[in-house]
Amino acid sequence: MKKKIVSMLLSSVMIVSALAGCTSTEGTGETTQVTVTDKDGNQTTANVKEGLSTGDVVVDETGEATYEVKDLYIVVDGTLTATKDSGQDEFVAQWEAAVSEKLGHEVHLHINQLDHSDYAGTVSRLLTTGEPGDGSFPDALIMSATMFRQYQTTGLLWDMADAYDNAEFQSRVTLPNVNLNIRTPDGKQYGFAPTYGNGCVSYVKQSWLDAAGLKIEDIKTYDDYYNMLKAFSDGKTYGVIAAGFGKLDEAPYINYMPEFWQGAYPAIYQKPGTTEWIDGFQEQATIDALDRLAQAYKDGLIDPDTEEAGTKQAREKFFSNDQSTSEGVFTYWAGTWLRTLTTNMEKNDVDNDLGDDRLVQLPPIKEIQDTWGGYLNREAPVWVISNDGDDNSLREQAIFDALFETMLDGDTVQTLWTYGAKGVHWDTKAEEFVTNPDDPDKRKEYSYEEGEFHMLPSPGDANTLWKKNHLDSVLVIAPLTNGFTDNDPLVQAGNEFFTSHCVDAPTAASSERLAEINEDLTVDKTTWMKQVVAGEMTGAEAVAAYQEKWGSTIDEILAELNTPQ
Amino acid sequence: MSGKNEAAVKTRKKPLGLRIKNNIGFYLMFLPVFIFVLIIYYWPMLGIRYSFYSYKLRDIHWVGLEHFKNMFAAKEFWIAFKNTLIISIVKLLLNTFAAVLISIFLNEMTSLFCKKFIQTIIYLPHFMSYAVVAAIFTLFLSTSSTGMINETLKSWGWIDKSIDFLHTPSMWQPVFYIINLWKETGWGTVIFFATLSGISPELYEAAEIDGATRLQKMRYVTLPALSNTIIIVLILNLAKVLNIFEPVFVLYNNRVFEVSDVISTYVYRKTFLTAIPDYGYTTAVGLFKSMVGCILMLLSNFASKKVRGRGII
Repeated sequence: MKKKIVSMLLSSVMIVSALAGCTSTEGTGETTQVTVTDKDGNQTTANVKEGLSTGDVVVDETGEATYEVKDLYIVVDGTLTATKDSGQDEFVAQWEAAVSEKLGHEVHLHINQLDHSDYAGTVSRLLTTGEPGDGSFPDALIMSATMFRQYQTTGLLWDMADAYDNAEFQSRVTLPNVNLNIRTPDGKQYGFAPTYGNGCVSYVKQSWLDAAGLKIEDIKTYDDYYNMLKAFSDGKTYGVIAAGFGKLDEAPYINYMPEFWQGAYPAIYQKPGTTEWIDGFQEQATIDALDRLAQAYKDGLIDPDTEEAGTKQAREKFFSNDQSTSEGVFTYWAGTWLRTLTTNMEKNDVDNDLGDDRLVQLPPIKEIQDTWGGYLNREAPVWVISNDGDDNSLREQAIFDALFETMLDGDTVQTLWTYGAKGVHWDTKAEEFVTNPDDPDKRKEYSYEEGEFHMLPSPGDANTLWKKNHLDSVLVIAPLTNGFTDNDPLVQAGNEFFTSHCVDAPTAASSERLAEINEDLTVDKTTWMKQVVAGEMTGAEAVAAYQEKWGSTIDEILAELNTPQ
Repeated sequence: MSGKNEAAVKTRKKPLGLRIKNNIGFYLMFLPVFIFVLIIYYWPMLGIRYSFYSYKLRDIHWVGLEHFKNMFAAKEFWIAFKNTLIISIVKLLLNTFAAVLISIFLNEMTSLFCKKFIQTIIYLPHFMSYAVVAAIFTLFLSTSSTGMINETLKSWGWIDKSIDFLHTPSMWQPVFYIINLWKETGWGTVIFFATLSGISPELYEAAEIDGATRLQKMRYVTLPALSNTIIIVLILNLAKVLNIFEPVFVLYNNRVFEVSDVISTYVYRKTFLTAIPDYGYTTAVGLFKSMVGCILMLLSNFASKKVRGRGII
């Protein structure tokens, strides 16, 4: 009998514990009816999902409903540089304190920072398996321009056109077109771009130019560029490396090897100044670009590692301390990256005698100037708000107010998004510190007066100064008003160079059919591109194969895009 | 008692209800495990129904057999199916053959120190993850100036131009098999070595008395003793041939999809590398793979019964 009782007890405990995981402590998301007053003062009733973990509907004594965000769940990629290991907790604590004060009630920020390389895939799974407000489903998240175009038609994103137009930061916006350009033809705005896109420029090692007896101002045409790469290549060293011959899965596709792609654009796009959608992959310019890449590869000017290299691998090879197998040219992001690449070269003792002049920026060659007019400034990545699917915007507007309004407040919160947490990433107090104290060649002393804005040593690397957090102070659409600027001359030079040599990239196409086939299309195009570069087929053969497999589908998409709405 | 009565006594069973009542304690202890199995293994199987639905983001609707039609019409699917069978079966045969060969050689070694030392050396690669193995071989085989193999061959004057081992369709599969042999052969010897150590020394002594040479002893004593184990290893692994994923995933690339893409990598790409995947389609492909795997399992079971008199399931 005793054995039976013990076994029954044990069984009960095991069953209860096994089933415990099946229950949920999250909100129920039940719908209730409340009175809502619109911006014109009209009162209507609306169905609102309640009990969600994001926040709650608060109805005042007059019966008017507002939504109070309590827990804000955001999903970000690697562009939030204040990671868990680099002071993210302090960033969150200071954000919560500042935003709670602004909103007049407590709000908690929950950041889910995903692996940068699998961001799109993970976001898709989060949006598929969850429900708004369930704690894992993002209330707001970052999307690249390509991703954004794919989601724009799904109904998952909230149209924030009104919220954006009525935002407090509007009076300070200096670059209004960045957000107006992402609106649909019928005026809907599903994303919010706090900065413009930025783009890539070609960095050339000054020491390699010197060794080859070349000057950057003499590299004006594709032939000059090609000859420079030849001068840099000796079988062990290479002219250029990049994270792929072309990044065909992300607009603007050609920015890692712009000198080879020139006027080609291997995707569906509208030529500047026209309204007709065309397929750039089928154009002669793409065939010529692929053949140029193939020739340079055959001539040993492009590092073969380019084929499979990710950005990290390409970067590290470029500034590696073993320059005997490195490259002379690397096309990468403008602005802050000029400082980052230079600092990494310094860390690896590469060209120490040149200091901040280790890298020079190559102005766009003639063939780029004659076609695009400059390096391409990509479409800006955007923040989006998930739509909970009820018949009102209370929750979404509250998220907009808590996250985006404050993100561009010009002061405390914008500073957090731009530079990080005070006392961790930057400060204004009088202080002195030293980086590389034990290395006489790299040792640098810093001294600041009380009230002087300055960056602090990085939380992850005490020998390097922190650079920025999520927003780039130069690219932001509404500048800071508190006067906090990072005066790093190299960063400023990088930004000035890019802004004076860039043009806006074409807008990415948004089509349901394109979104359906985009991944297969990208895989095929990438495969053909690699096969051409490896000499397995010509550019013309690749385009012919593309037309045979995808021609009719692309025609359908073009017809859909070119049909007046 | 007659034989007939004995049989009657043996086959008479108490009713199930009575047996459960008499052993209620044991059944209650089994109950949580049973529920656990149902929840962990069988409940997720309800997801199989999505192979008949279109499942994109939060839009789920019935499409019937549409995904299966699309799957059978997709050239990429059949390439992946063909590659799965070829790569898995060739890998299985090569690895088993190499493991048998090395086991026999090791068994013939007289120096215990050498035997242990070699065993340790060849076991080690098994404990490296495929990601690390792929990184090492990608670096070794790179066509860049950092690629050790190509640079060595060039310095010896054997080649003028680097060979793109991992990006050339005709070379990818052989290179893949070699990498797998390097990684898994050592570990594969464990089971054969155990069998070899169980062979009675008397058999070798008898063969020696009969005048058998060393090679003849291997041919007439060792190999027959191993044959049952070889067949069992092959049969057991045959049931798993469609599951190949990781070794291919870490080594394949766009240019060799024609010869390297297997069902699991095809499903992975369609599910995880697609911005807005249709989970219904990939579930359908997964279901087809499971059905073929199930058939192979039954065939293996049948073969096992034939060879060793009992099944594997």
